[in-house]
Amino acid sequence: MRLRLLGAGSTLTLALLAAICAFVAATRGSVELGSVPASVPALQLDFALTPLAAPFLALLAMLGSAVGVWGLRRDRPIDAMLIAAFVAAMLVLLIASSVASFFLSWETMSLVSAFLVAAYHKRRAVRRATWVYLVAAQAGALCILATMLVLATHAGGWSFPAIATAAATLPPSARDAAFILAMLGFGSKAGLLPLHFWLPRAHPVAPPSASAMLSGAMLKVALYALTLVTFNLAAPAPTSWGVALMVVGTLSAIGGVLYALVDHDLKRLLAYHSVENVGIIAIGIGLALVARSTGDLALAALALTAAIFHAINHGLFKGLLFLGSGVVADTEGTVDLERLGGLWSHLVWTGPLFLIGCVAIVGLPPFNGFASEWMTFQSLIASWHAFVPAFALVSLAAVLGLSLTGGLAAACFVKVFGVAFLGHPRRAVTRPIATERFDAATLALMALAVLCTLFGIVPMLVVVPLARVVASTIGVAPPIAAALPVLPIALATLPIAAAIGVLAIERYRRVRTVPTWTCGSPVTPSAQYTATAFSKSLRTIFAFVLLPERRRIVEAGASSWFPKRIVYRTESRDIIDETARRFAALMLQFARRSRALQSGSLRLYVAYSLGAVIVAIALANR
Amino acid sequence: MNALVQLLLVAALAPLAHGAMKALRARFSGRPGPSILQSYRDYAKLWCKEAVLPEGASIITRCAPGVAFGVALTLAAALPLGGSVPPLPDVVGLIFLLAVGHFVLGVAALDTRSAFSGMAASRSMTFASLVEPALLAALLGAAALGKGTQLSSLLTLAHGPTSALAFAGFFLVMLAETARIPIDNQETHYELTMIHEGLVLEYSGWHLAFLQAAAQIRQLSFLLLGAILLSGGGVLALAGWAVVLAAAVSVVETVFAKVRLFEVPQLLATGLIFAVTSIVLRLFGAPA
Repeated sequence: MRLRLLGAGSTLTLALLAAICAFVAATRGSVELGSVPASVPALQLDFALTPLAAPFLALLAMLGSAVGVWGLRRDRPIDAMLIAAFVAAMLVLLIASSVASFFLSWETMSLVSAFLVAAYHKRRAVRRATWVYLVAAQAGALCILATMLVLATHAGGWSFPAIATAAATLPPSARDAAFILAMLGFGSKAGLLPLHFWLPRAHPVAPPSASAMLSGAMLKVALYALTLVTFNLAAPAPTSWGVALMVVGTLSAIGGVLYALVDHDLKRLLAYHSVENVGIIAIGIGLALVARSTGDLALAALALTAAIFHAINHGLFKGLLFLGSGVVADTEGTVDLERLGGLWSHLVWTGPLFLIGCVAIVGLPPFNGFASEWMTFQSLIASWHAFVPAFALVSLAAVLGLSLTGGLAAACFVKVFGVAFLGHPRRAVTRPIATERFDAATLALMALAVLCTLFGIVPMLVVVPLARVVASTIGVAPPIAAALPVLPIALATLPIAAAIGVLAIERYRRVRTVPTWTCGSPVTPSAQYTATAFSKSLRTIFAFVLLPERRRIVEAGASSWFPKRIVYRTESRDIIDETARRFAALMLQFARRSRALQSGSLRLYVAYSLGAVIVAIALANR
Repeated sequence: MNALVQLLLVAALAPLAHGAMKALRARFSGRPGPSILQSYRDYAKLWCKEAVLPEGASIITRCAPGVAFGVALTLAAALPLGGSVPPLPDVVGLIFLLAVGHFVLGVAALDTRSAFSGMAASRSMTFASLVEPALLAALLGAAALGKGTQLSSLLTLAHGPTSALAFAGFFLVMLAETARIPIDNQETHYELTMIHEGLVLEYSGWHLAFLQAAAQIRQLSFLLLGAILLSGGGVLALAGWAVVLAAAVSVVETVFAKVRLFEVPQLLATGLIFAVTSIVLRLFGAPA
């Protein structure tokens, strides 16, 4: 108990510290915080506040305090302590200003989060997921180290300002090598396709607060690092980098939402939505890179503002949804959508707050997801005019991909909310379920929901300070559309007013309730549409990516017309996992075939040696 | 003030447009059909009836008719007919606005616990997600390219082969979005084939009146949007084109049969391809 208080208290303190850092960095610009000297220059630890880190520090502060409050009530003590360490590592990473301090805090962040993923390590699946996560994290870390080494050896210094100054004279090959390595390292941490494979494995097994921090904050920190490298440490970036990032972002957005649609484990589904949203953010960053390389600084500033705004928003609503799924797991004992239902009637606090999270992530006005997605659309559409046609085609594809993603996300969250929270419970309910009471965990959810709503109704609260930060990175202030401050309210006023009106009419007009009409048969919970059924049509349309697999087993009874039992299972496979599996199978097969060479016969080996000698002589005489 | 007039005018004329299309379709298929004022009488009837809801339905189900109605009104207010409020007529905002309507009705349909509503919700969300990119591309392709996303730019449109392509895309999408044959059938009584009607299957009485009003206002708004794409301003021209479009939709409904469910994506993809082609041609410098 005391340990939990200590953990949650430290998380809250660190969040406050992050808030102070964010405020100072946003108002004062770059501030040196000091450094720890070392005998070897490469190991010197420098710390500084930079404007670019400010929005991410602010996100860490908001999400950290919500998760801290949640921890007061729900986390196990050890998890609360680990969360505090995780926040500390990310805080240090965001103020790191030399290769050593950056890399050390990056590794700390990876390791602490691996411990969080391994929280329930007694289960085999958890240990397996942790293993996959650790492999992805360490392989990524090696790429990041390589990036840093490429940049630092050219610069001849190990502090970020020195590297940034020397970046202008980087030879193109070193620049491209740094970018590709950074994409591999930071991209895998951020969950960009096709390196997202650890996300859907790690999230379902991690505690909810850890998932909220992983998805809400750590992915954003990885995107911060990617922005730092492309806009600062290896700047100026050639156009091809931005185009590559836009393409990867679009694919991640569509792929993420498609796999989310067919997944019915609530937490894994949310993990796939993180892939989607990271894709949307990557599109913004990519567009900013392209615009900057073609000299259109205003457009670059607008796109970067949209991307960072979406990063903040995603942190808030994804934190809300993950914590909400934690409440569901606590009260129901499962997050499998096929077994949930009717939560709305007893989760009287979490239900409405979770709905706000769903509406925000879908990007409906007047919530925060709308504001940032709208800005991303605006910057993409503006780029058609600004770019040469070839780039405009990429950004046209991004616009179409983004709007498809929006529609699919809406379908997915109709499924999540409608199936899990509304209707009848889908499992046998033996005793009446207690109505949820307000506690610290609910307070955390409420804080995040309030922020989602506030930033949606008044987007300028974020956009104005963000514009200053972006202006100091790119040099030009983003041209914010005059419509942005009023559009969310304008779009949402009439629907909300009409809904209130209808409820008001209800007070005077009769509304009678009767059993649902099911063609005369009794109303049973199993007659409701399920999550699998709901996603069926999209699963069929997108079968070429989702690779659905269907198994139907009929146990015949007295006659084949009256089966005793029918088992129906359908599963979708992640195309990346499937490709990896096929590749591994191919390699194994190749290895098995090549075993024939090793027959164990001495004469054959002598023949090999003789053949090798002949080939060697033939080559030498050529 | 102008906005209010425009809003009320569109809302008041929507049942007339609906009735006229219904009557026209009946004539085409050789039936006498209802009077074109029948929709108004239906409202009077529905308004007097009590609303019946399934047991245990949450507040979301009770709010949904209002939200859908509000979305339709906002759409009507956003049309660039001279009375729209400045930030509203934004193409991207409009797409998100339509998504609000789909989302709320979809969630409410799952709340009713009926398998028919659930099926309709699934189909409606599926097609809505495919309609979104096509509608966005059609409107953007028709709008002056890259000059902002305001709908008013549709009014200053130059007409030519590329804008005709964009319009073709828009027409296909409009059929889907307003629940018309060959994608959906408004007059079906067979639950398994319903999409929009299935969504609102459990609603009745004055709740249903709001939902029907929402559908009819959305119908007229889309007709007007199409008329704007074709004519580019002028009240008489707009009204004329809207009538022509309504007649065209009725002809399509008479001539074609409803396509199989899994052929709808191909239809919508065709619309998308038309719209995208027009944008690409424009990007590479083809004249309007």
